[in-house]
Order: sequence, then structure tokens, then C-alpha cells
Amino acid sequence: MTSMERVVAALQGTEADRRAFTMTLSLYGAKLTGCPLSEYYTSPDRYLQGQIAVYDHCRPDILFTPFAFAPEAQAFGSEIFYLQKNPPNVRKPFIRDPKDIDKITVPDIGSDEGLQYLLSSARLLADHFKGAVPICGVLASPLDLPAVIMGVGNWLEILLFDDEKASAVISLMSEYFVTMANSMFDNGINFLAIPMMFSNPRLVFEKTVKETVVPALADIFSRLKGPVVFHHGGNPLAGFLPLYRNIPNIAGFALDQHDDFSEARKNIGENMLLLGNLEGPTLGLVTTAHALERAQKILDNRRDDRHFIFATSGADVAWDTPMETITGIYDLIQHYGAGHA
Amino acid sequence: MTAESTRISVIEAILGGERELANSLLDTYAAANGSYRRAMNEVLEPVLVEIGIKWAEENTSLAQGYVAGKVAEDTLFKIIRDEQDILHTQEIKGTVVIGNIEDDFHSLGRKLVSIFLQSAGWIVHDLGSDVSPEEFVDKAAETDACIIGVSAMMYTTAANIKKVRDELDRRNLSGRIMLAVGGAVFRLRPELTREVGGDGTAANGYQVPQLFAELLARSQRETLQ
Repeated sequence: MTSMERVVAALQGTEADRRAFTMTLSLYGAKLTGCPLSEYYTSPDRYLQGQIAVYDHCRPDILFTPFAFAPEAQAFGSEIFYLQKNPPNVRKPFIRDPKDIDKITVPDIGSDEGLQYLLSSARLLADHFKGAVPICGVLASPLDLPAVIMGVGNWLEILLFDDEKASAVISLMSEYFVTMANSMFDNGINFLAIPMMFSNPRLVFEKTVKETVVPALADIFSRLKGPVVFHHGGNPLAGFLPLYRNIPNIAGFALDQHDDFSEARKNIGENMLLLGNLEGPTLGLVTTAHALERAQKILDNRRDDRHFIFATSGADVAWDTPMETITGIYDLIQHYGAGHA
Repeated sequence: MTAESTRISVIEAILGGERELANSLLDTYAAANGSYRRAMNEVLEPVLVEIGIKWAEENTSLAQGYVAGKVAEDTLFKIIRDEQDILHTQEIKGTVVIGNIEDDFHSLGRKLVSIFLQSAGWIVHDLGSDVSPEEFVDKAAETDACIIGVSAMMYTTAANIKKVRDELDRRNLSGRIMLAVGGAVFRLRPELTREVGGDGTAANGYQVPQLFAELLARSQRETLQ
């Protein structure tokens, strides 16, 4: 089976030759190719070379476009900086004073270098892997992007206490997100993964999720050309899954390392795709044996679950993760087989 | 309503995101008992401690913590409004300087810390975001502050805090002026406090007044030696 067939099998709950798996190795491609990160996160060609190296080393069933929100924040006017072992980050948000909210404008996707980098990376990946390996586009959630444009505190203040401004900001973000996401689909991605932070009751009130976030996401996702994986965004998600049940175009949920798959299944049913949940960002801090033991437990836990893809949780797999940990997980998956009955 | 029943209602209001209701309950308690100072001491401070415990146990959301901070800020403003004439006679615990280290713009935690410190009787000079080591130490020297509190969210910016320690050392102020450090990265990497030269850290904003009281005592001991 090809990776695409394996992933589709997981979506449909049909038989596969082995468990579909992926690791978030967007960053790790730079390490494998020795590419400076300031180049890796600005050159679509260098990004493609990195992802080819990732594929050659561990054959994940899903590859990702750059897992970096800085280019999007930069497109909205925020100042970013490059790091040696992590994706670029925001140095100064565009809006420092909430009264300047009106200065936020939607960037021109066609001319913005950072956004073009994301789109070109998607296109090069799709062209290279020619449908054999699903390409997952990664974008910031339209409900989280304001936090990198104006800072967490300012966005929280607006989201909680100023319905009118919140509505105006969400409207702007929606306009940008739908255009950008659909451009990603036009450039060949098969689905989107959207880390969701300000959509989770661990960050905002459940009533905010119900009254503001879910209606906004339902509207936005209904206008997308392809499906979305709702990513936990660094917070446990299993207990809150019923909140998102009626949002259209959700193909699956990527769970947090602390999530319990049984609880998730109870809350979302047997047929929704679930992904997870080996913590990726700390893989550099644990031994290979420990990582493999944890991976084995996850696979055993989901042995009979056909709608499951083994994946890392959190952001990128850490730069310092030993190569033997990554190849060890690949070997484990190879030998584990289909898993399900 | 008794202090206990008001506390329970205020906690419920804050955890439910009802900032106005929480303020209204505190208004009622202050009116019945003579002052917002009493509402702060008898109701809100215990409420903040309880929410702080829930926060440490990861049983509250960011928004709930934020609303707790806003309610504390609202009450604090009412105390300042009502006690303009007598504020100078109340016990001031000390003067502190706080800010986000250079290149760091994550101000939410710092703002909450400022509110909790002021609620606990500290004079706070908040220098804002992206503050240089020299600015921190200049302001502390100018205001005779005993503690500098520096916040950073990420490892990359937290590393800049070491320059504040270096500046304190260069001016022979270490020991007399304590260096408190905080921010999300210090929860993830507790060893970072020592790496950047910090004298102490707190797990969350609610615990900062206690940390600062301990650092003040250390500062006084070291100054006497």
C-alpha cells in the first residue's frame, strides 16, 4: 500500500497492511540536511530537500508543510526572529496597544514573501511526492493568529470582554484564513492541520467556546476546499471533543500526550479519525528505549482501532532528538503490522 | 452575606467568567463592612489563594486566571480611589521593579503579577516589555527597590536575564537587590532560575507575593551582614 492508501484506510476504517503513522518532522528536515534555519524557513527548495531527507530516513505516511506560524505573524506586521534549533518566532507583535486594533489589515497573499514561502513549499512537496504521500498543510488557527499579532493578553482581553472588537478581529482573520487555506489546497495539500489554542476550555471559558469560537469555526471550515485535522494545540482535548462535534469539514482530531484515547472515543464516537499521542517536543530529553516503550503502549492501546493514526503530539519533534529514536519508531511501526483485528 | 459565603460566590463568579458579578459581590461586601480594604483582605485575598491552588493543580483555565486578575485590579483601583488620604499610612511591604526582559513582549503574566503585588501592599514600578538590564537596575537604584522581578516566556529571551545579574554584580548590588525571575519557561525548566542568576521564582502569579516577602527578608539579612 502507498502512504496515501494507508491514511485513507484509517479515515474510512478499512484494512491496511500496517498502522499509518507520522511524526512532526518539519523542523528535523533542516537538521538532516544541515540547513541553517533562516534559510530553511525562507526557501521552499531547501524545505523540500529537508522533507525528502525526512522521508528517506523514516518513511512517515504524512509529510507537513512548514510548522511555523512566524511567516503568518510577519505577514500581519509582527517582527520575527530566527533561532538555531527551533522554528522562527515572534519578537514583537504588530499591535502593542489594544487601541491600535483598527490598524490590522489582511495581507496580500499573492505578494507576501512569507506566505508565498508556505504556499510554494506546499506545491513543491505535492509535486515531488505526486499523491503517494499525503501532504498536510499547517496554518495558525484564525482564533489564535490574533495572539501573535497583538499578544496573548490583548487578545484574551478582547475575546473575553469586548464582543464587538472580537467579532471584527475574527472577521478579518476569517477572510485571511479561508483565502490562505484554500490557496494551500490549490497548491496540492491533501488536508490541513490546525493547532487550536483559543478554542480550548483550558484557555478560554467554555461559554466563549460555545458562543464565539465554535460558530466562527463552523462558518470558516464550511468555506474550505478540503478537510481539517483539529490539532490539540498543546492542551488536552479528549474531554472537550463534544463541543466541536458539529463543526463541518473536520476529518480527525490530533490528541495531546495527556489525552486518554478511550475518553476521546467515548466523546466523539468510533468512526472519527484520531491521531496521537507520543509527545514530540520532548523526544530529545528521553532515551530511545523510553520513547519506544511509550510508542509501544500507544500502539497496544489502539490495537483494535481502525480509525487511528500513530503520530507525535505537540509541536515539532525536537532538534536534539536522536536519530535512532526516530528510526526506532519507524522500525516499531513496520514490525507492528496493522494492529487491528 | 458572610465573608465565607461571599468568598464562595466570588469564586463561582470568577470561574464562570462573570467579572461584573464578582465585582458586584465585592461591592456589596465592601458597602456592608465599611471598605474595599476589608473586601480585599477578607474575601478576595483568600479567593486568589484558592484559585492559585487550583491553577497550580491545572484545574483552572488561562481565562479564569485572567478574570481573577482583572477582578483584583478592579478592587485595587477602588481601594486606591477610596483611600487616597490614608494610603501613605498603611504598611508598605517594599518597593519593587518589574518588567519583561529585552526582546520579550509577553506581558500578560507580568501584568497579573503587578496586580497581585500591589494587592499585597508592594509599591510596584512596572517598566513594561523589552526592558534592558541597565533600565532595570537604574530604576531599582533610583527607587531604592529591594527586588527586581524579570519575566520571560521563552528560553531564548530568558537567557537575556543573565545580563541583569551581570549588571547587578557590576554595580555591587547583588544581595541587596534580589533578582526574581518568572514566566512560562521557568515552569518547564526550573533549573533555568539558577542558570540565569535568579534568586528565586514562583510557580504562578498568585505565589509571587510570598516569594517577594522571602526575597525581601533575604535582602535585609544580606544587607545587615
